[in-house]
Parts: sequence; structure tokens; C-alpha cells
Amino acid sequence: MLSIEGLRTSYGGIRVLKGVSIQIPKGKVVSIIGANGAGKSTLLKNISGLVKAQEGRIIYKGKNIAGMPAHRIVGLGISQVPEGRQLFAHLTVLDNIRLGAYHYFKRSNRDEINGRIEHVYQIFPILEKRSKQVAGTLSGGEQQMLAISRALMGRPELLLLDEPSMGIAPLIVREIFNVIRKLNASGTTILLVEQNAKAALKVANHCYVLERGEVVLEGLAAELLDNPKVKEVYLGG
Amino acid sequence: METITPAGQLFQYLITGITVGSIYAMVAVGFNIIYNVTEIINFAQGEFVMLGGLVMVSLHVGMGLPLIAAFPATMIIVTLVGMLLDRLAISPIRRPTVLSLIIATIAASILLKGTAMFIWGKDPYDLPAFSGRNPITFLGAVIQPQYFWVIGFLIITVIVLTLFFEKTILGKAMSACADNPDAASLVGINVKQMILLSFALSAAIGAVAGIVVTPISLMEYDRGAMLAVKGFGAAVLGGLGSFPGAVIGGLILGAIESLGAGLISSGYKDAFALIVLMFVLFYKPSGIFGDIEVSKIKRF
Repeated sequence: MLSIEGLRTSYGGIRVLKGVSIQIPKGKVVSIIGANGAGKSTLLKNISGLVKAQEGRIIYKGKNIAGMPAHRIVGLGISQVPEGRQLFAHLTVLDNIRLGAYHYFKRSNRDEINGRIEHVYQIFPILEKRSKQVAGTLSGGEQQMLAISRALMGRPELLLLDEPSMGIAPLIVREIFNVIRKLNASGTTILLVEQNAKAALKVANHCYVLERGEVVLEGLAAELLDNPKVKEVYLGG
Repeated sequence: METITPAGQLFQYLITGITVGSIYAMVAVGFNIIYNVTEIINFAQGEFVMLGGLVMVSLHVGMGLPLIAAFPATMIIVTLVGMLLDRLAISPIRRPTVLSLIIATIAASILLKGTAMFIWGKDPYDLPAFSGRNPITFLGAVIQPQYFWVIGFLIITVIVLTLFFEKTILGKAMSACADNPDAASLVGINVKQMILLSFALSAAIGAVAGIVVTPISLMEYDRGAMLAVKGFGAAVLGGLGSFPGAVIGGLILGAIESLGAGLISSGYKDAFALIVLMFVLFYKPSGIFGDIEVSKIKRF
């Protein structure tokens, strides 16, 4: 579905990605693990269009989308849940959700949009209770749920998740990973970037290990779970 | 000639204050629109008002266009100026910070003022009042019919804008840009287009303010800066970003100014607004309608 070829990206003069190539097959969960500063978030921002790559191609459904502005990429079916949630903090929960559907927000699509809102309320019932509340006042876990809901409103075929477990209670992390599994089961392809390697490897089919802007290891997630190097560095021995 | 009672005199000051305050409120509303989308203060907002008045004078008095045609034509011209301001001064800034953008608007205001001086010279211009200049006497105060036009346009502007920002997805999308531009583009909002729209909207409102106030107070090329200061005072007093706040802030500021000028000294007229602005900034920087929690997370 998505294939990244030889991506090079610099950020303020520093080389962050040094020729990264990654394949994301349709219907799979692919995860990227790596330490802080390995370039994971930059890679996601390259795909969603927030950051432009200097070199390389990002082929989505046979078309190179590298360099396309972010507000057009979401219309192709790629939604990103950004690191640190990045909600519209002053707007209500419902407004955040509705804005997720901005790129196809038309009167004629009203039924579809309302249906999707019902759908995300089913996934995260707490958001329905909080729908009138201002997003900035939600707890960390609820904010993450809202960020995921907003991305789902964009009717993604490929969902990019950036550190969904960051700063969230373990119980909620489990809930969110269960949701990721369910979304994948219902046909959404997922690219998951995580520092929580254990959780990421458990949910993923395929995994890439990123170190200092390069892919140093890749393979089936189940195999990487048993890889001695991965065990030592990322799973805490 | 009727005798002027003290109560009538006071009422007169109040009416005048509310009219002037309505103009400050419209300038404040213009500030708020751009602030709500970009978190910057557009110091060229007063120039939109000045241009509204002077372009209207040229079209209506100079070229003889009827009011009903000259009014929208003036709004369109000033709106285009606002859009040009965004495209030439704001949008090209490579790494925009709130401060660099504000400085760009200050530069733009100086440029607009200079251009206006070239076109219209330094003399003040008058515009015929919309429905004559026969004053109405009410409760001992003399009220110009034009006052009603000013207040009426303020009410319409605020109602339309409140509905736009509260009820339409485009309005919400504009607010989303201020909250988080990256997240806004991730849901498909073209942030640069929204900023352009915010400049267009506030230029249009500035033009309205300039058109309706010129029959009362005349208009000249260098009126913009003071209007911007007063409007900014009104916006801060009411709470930056809040439309009801802008209206209340503007009206209070206008009333204080008019009462102060009448009862204390007209020489200090402009000082009253600045004193109010300072007190608000000292004691309640979030303004009347501003949420303290919200103002803490804002960048400016």
C-alpha cells in the first residue's frame, strides 16, 4: 500500500533520516521502534506531509506523494495521530471530532459524518460523555482517544500513529492497543511508531528498528521479539 | 433652544461614547478575527478603517456612485487590500513567529498610511450621512441619525461573525488554525488559505467601520494608528479573541473616553483609553471575557 524508498530528511541542518526504505503492505500493522531521536517521528511527518523530505520517494497506491502538502494527503486516505496528541485545545470534543472530517465536510456527506461520529463514540464511549467539554481539559488518556477519533473521522485507509502510549496510564495503553488491533481487523492498515517496543511488537505483523536515521533491523514482529539484540536494547533484557 | 440639564448632558456624553465605542468595537472585532486564526495582532487593522472611509469618499463623493453601490464596492476594495497584505507581507515570511508577523503588520500599516497620504493628501474628508443630518432630541440629548447606523452595523457584524465562528465548519476550521496549525493541516485544512480568509474578513469589517464613522468624525490618512490603539485597548479589555468581549470592551472604552473628555478635560481624551489598557494589563490581563486558564496557554 505504501512504500518508502531511500528517504533522506534534514532538520535545521542535521541529517535525521539517512536513506530509509520501508514497506507497508495493505491490511497489516507495521511498527517502527527506536530510541528517542532515531528519526521515527520525522519519518511519519514525511509521510503525512508536515515535513518535506530532501530525497527519496513515498509511493502510495502507485503514486509518489513526497512533497505534497499535508492538507491534501489526508484526502488520499492517510490520517496521522500526531505525537503528543495535538488537539484543538480550545474547541470542544465534538468540534475536534467533526473537524477530523473537514476534508469531505459537505451537506451531502452529513449522514456519513454522523455515522462516523457514532462509530467513534462506540469505540470510545467516554468521548460521548465529554462531547461538550473543551478538549484541553481532558485527561491524557482521553486526549489520546480523541486524537485517534479525530484521525478516524478522516476515513483513513492508512493510519499513522505516533507514540500513542506516551504519557498514559498502563491500563489505558492496553485499551488503546486493543483498539488498534480492532481497527486493523476491520481493514485499516496501520503504521505504528513506538518507544514502548514490547507493546508495539505484540500488536504488529512486521517491524523495523530505526537507529540514528537508518533501518538497522527488520523482520516479522514475532521474530524480533526473540531477537537477542532487540531484547537487550529495547525490551530491557 | 432647550436648556441643557446635567442629566441630559451626561446622557449626551454616553450616547456619543457608545457611538465612538462601536467603532472601537469593530476594530477590536477585526483584531480578534486575525488573532483567533493566527494568534497575531494585526496592527494594520486601523488602516483598514481609514481606507474604508477614504475609498468611500472617493467612490461616493468623488465619482458619484450611489451609496448602495459605493458601500459594497468599498468593502471589496479594502478586502482586496487586506488579502494583498497577507499575500505580500505575512504569507511570504519563511519561519513565522508571532513577533516577526506582528512587526510585519506594523510595517504594512506605515506603508498603507504613506500610500494613503499620496493618494488623498493630508486633509480630512467628509461623507454625507446616510439618512441626513437632522438630529433627533431624546431625553435632552441630541442624537445624529448616523449614530444609529454605526450601532446597527456593529450589531449585525457581531451576530454574523458569532454565527460564522460558532456554527459553521469553516469558522471552526479557522479557530483550529490558531490552536494548532500542524494538526489543522493534518485534518485537511489549508492553513494559509484560512489566514488569507481572516485578513479578508477583518479588512471588510474595518471598511464597514470606516464607512459608517466618516460622516460623524471625518477621515484622514493618519487616523489608523490611533484607531488601532483604541481598538486594541477594547479587545484587551474585553478579552482577546472574544467577540462579545470586543463589543463590551469597545463600548466601555468609548463611554469612558466620552465621559472623561466631557467631565474632566477633552485634552486627555486619548489618554483615558491608554490608562484603561494599562490597568487591564496590570490587574486582569485576560480581560473581562477572557478565561485565565485559556490565556495561560496562549502565546501572546
